[in-house]
Amino acid sequence: MELALSDDQVQILDAIDTLAKPYASVPIHDISFALTSAELTRELAEGGFLDVAAMEELGPETAALVVERLARLPFAVEAAASALVRPLLDSELPRPLCLIEEGALGRAVRYLAPGATVVMVGSGGVRSFVATADHVAEAHDESIFAYPMAVLKAQPAEADLRQYNVPASEVLTQWRIGLAAEASGLMAAALAATVTYTSERKQFGLPIATFQALRHRLAEAQVVTNGAYWMTMKAAATRDSGDAALAALHAQEAARRVTYDFHQFLGAMGMTLEHPLHLWTYRLKALTSELGGRGANALAAAEAIWG
Amino acid sequence: MNFDWTPEHQAFRERLRAFLKAELPDNWESIAHHGPGSAEITAFSRQFCGRLAAAGMLFPHWPVSMGGKGLDAWYQTILAEEMWAAGEPRGAQYMNVNWIGPTLMKYGSEQQKKTLLPPIVAGNAIWCQGFSEPNSGSDLASLRTRAVLDAGEYVINGQKIWTSYAGLADNCFLLTRTSDDRKRGITILIVPMDTPGITVRQIPSIIGEGDIHEVFFDDVIVPESARFGDEGQAWEIISYSLRNERLGIPRYHLARAALDRAVALLKARGDWKGEAVKIEAAKAAALTETARNACYAIVDKRVKEQPIGPEASTARYNVVMAERAVSEFVVEYLPQALIDAEPYLKMHHQRGIVAGIASGAAEIQLNIIATEVLELPREAR
Ligand SMILES: Cc1cc2nc3c(=O)[nH]c(=O)nc-3n(C[C@H](O)[C@H](O)[C@H](O)COP(=O)(O)OP(=O)(O)OC[C@H]3O[C@@H](n4cnc5c(N)ncnc54)[C@H](O)[C@@H]3O)c2cc1C
Repeated sequence: MELALSDDQVQILDAIDTLAKPYASVPIHDISFALTSAELTRELAEGGFLDVAAMEELGPETAALVVERLARLPFAVEAAASALVRPLLDSELPRPLCLIEEGALGRAVRYLAPGATVVMVGSGGVRSFVATADHVAEAHDESIFAYPMAVLKAQPAEADLRQYNVPASEVLTQWRIGLAAEASGLMAAALAATVTYTSERKQFGLPIATFQALRHRLAEAQVVTNGAYWMTMKAAATRDSGDAALAALHAQEAARRVTYDFHQFLGAMGMTLEHPLHLWTYRLKALTSELGGRGANALAAAEAIWG
Repeated sequence: MNFDWTPEHQAFRERLRAFLKAELPDNWESIAHHGPGSAEITAFSRQFCGRLAAAGMLFPHWPVSMGGKGLDAWYQTILAEEMWAAGEPRGAQYMNVNWIGPTLMKYGSEQQKKTLLPPIVAGNAIWCQGFSEPNSGSDLASLRTRAVLDAGEYVINGQKIWTSYAGLADNCFLLTRTSDDRKRGITILIVPMDTPGITVRQIPSIIGEGDIHEVFFDDVIVPESARFGDEGQAWEIISYSLRNERLGIPRYHLARAALDRAVALLKARGDWKGEAVKIEAAKAAALTETARNACYAIVDKRVKEQPIGPEASTARYNVVMAERAVSEFVVEYLPQALIDAEPYLKMHHQRGIVAGIASGAAEIQLNIIATEVLELPREAR
């Protein structure tokens, strides 16, 4: 048992904080629903932060830490699939990576755009292709989930798909770890923003965070957010399919529990684009539907644990 | 990070399991059925803990100077997990190992250490913790049981309540009021439970036998040497003790063991089918494992001798959610007769309500998290 971060891990997270400093808040007057930055993404890729999983002394657990940390930024960065799944397949695959379950044609996919690598996972194994304009329906810049998303409307013929020798179960495990890591970071950032707002906003002559009805629900949000972090780290360290399914399940349960509360505590301000809260909470909403949602992740966990 | 046990930790767990297998009698389940506070387990524990001590496994985590092996806090955790999963054959003596012994060692007078430690070390000492009173629960510092020093003796008058194990205890670790200063007016006295003037009444409850009691003190007289620490030092001392107690019972582990047992029973009955039961079982497991990780994070800090702060409250709240989820699962999916017949499931069903109250109510944990972890402005009072 060793549950503290290594010196290397602390240094990597510090380096990310330094690199991401200019991106730590929303540019004034920017009211985009999904905030992205090609510059930030490029800097992270060039700095090698998305490739830490392949380094022996760092591994998937450091990749999960990186994903968690980046998810706290108001800017959306495709990190989870690149950092946790790509090393299993081919570390040179063009980014961003879009993970989809087989048969997900017609669904909106995070970061899907021409040039992205689409990785399909299912009974047919693990296969990929690079998306072109033909595959992507009306590539929105914005979506209702604060991620850049687009609908996958077609895929290449079987023969044109690249097939991998990696079992689908392994990719699913890493996908779940990535999902849990990202959700943990999103919840941490959303909680912090809500804590700041409720500590400053006064009604009845007092900061609204002095009212116990809010305090207790915020404290519960801290408990489940902290829990999501630990479940993620355990799954990343053990790479066990049951741990990964439990981590994804817990993250989705937690996300569901906190998102409406956070908006609630901001009153009408929580409905504006002026306040950045939605950048984290609406991404969380997207994550709660991934991999079949809580029910499917729970079934995967039950199968892995009890058979 | 590494979530695996070291070979040494694993070997210790195996040794404990082998010890339990060899030492627990064939009719153990019928004894365990009565619960850790019962007369049956208490009597059993007075033999069992001695044998555990002889095998060097009663307090492996105590420093060598106290007769321990100076092993890290993971050993204490493994010990607690294995003992509770087996129905806690140490009975009430788990408290000695967790906090009474270490507190005596740290704050006791030479005389107190000389007389009080040997029975603990021999595995034959039952203690109770006289803190709560009818009007002082969460607001412990408002307690009113008086101790008046008169000619070298303390005269105690008042009442304690919810006192676990009081009916069979040898000694009480008693909080008394010696002056009006809210916290600095509280003093610890160590009171033998057979002192004249003490009346103990068991409180009938839905959580099992022998657990909660009322204890009345009518002109109970103890010598000044029964004082533990200085007058007014109680708050400082119990803050130290409670930090050790908070992780005392590995409820996450018990809850997971009960859940695994429930699933095994469902399978044996052919009822492990359909999606609903599996989804609910997995949700409960997610909570037990979250609680486990949150508790382990604290043990890890203790091993590194880092101060343990309000994250203990976060862990505690996780544990409350886990206990409840498993109890609810058991009640929802298993037939009543089966719960009744299975000692560990029954115990879990009975005690699922305890974690949210005992040693600091769940809402108090949330108050601590709000103020000390989230650093919200203080609550309006
Ligand atoms: C099984 C069991 C064993 C126990 N063993 C012992 C023992 O050995 N020795 C001992 O001294 N005590 C023991 N206790 C007592 C235990 O410490 C108290 O029950 C506990 O501190 C709560 O006090 P209370 O029961 O008076 O509840 P109260 O303090 O009356 O609380 C009732 C409810 O009000 C809530 N509440 C109170 N204050 C606040 C606040 N400021 N903000 C929000 N909500 C609040 C609580 O969270 C709780 O939900 C035991 C209790 C149990 C259940």
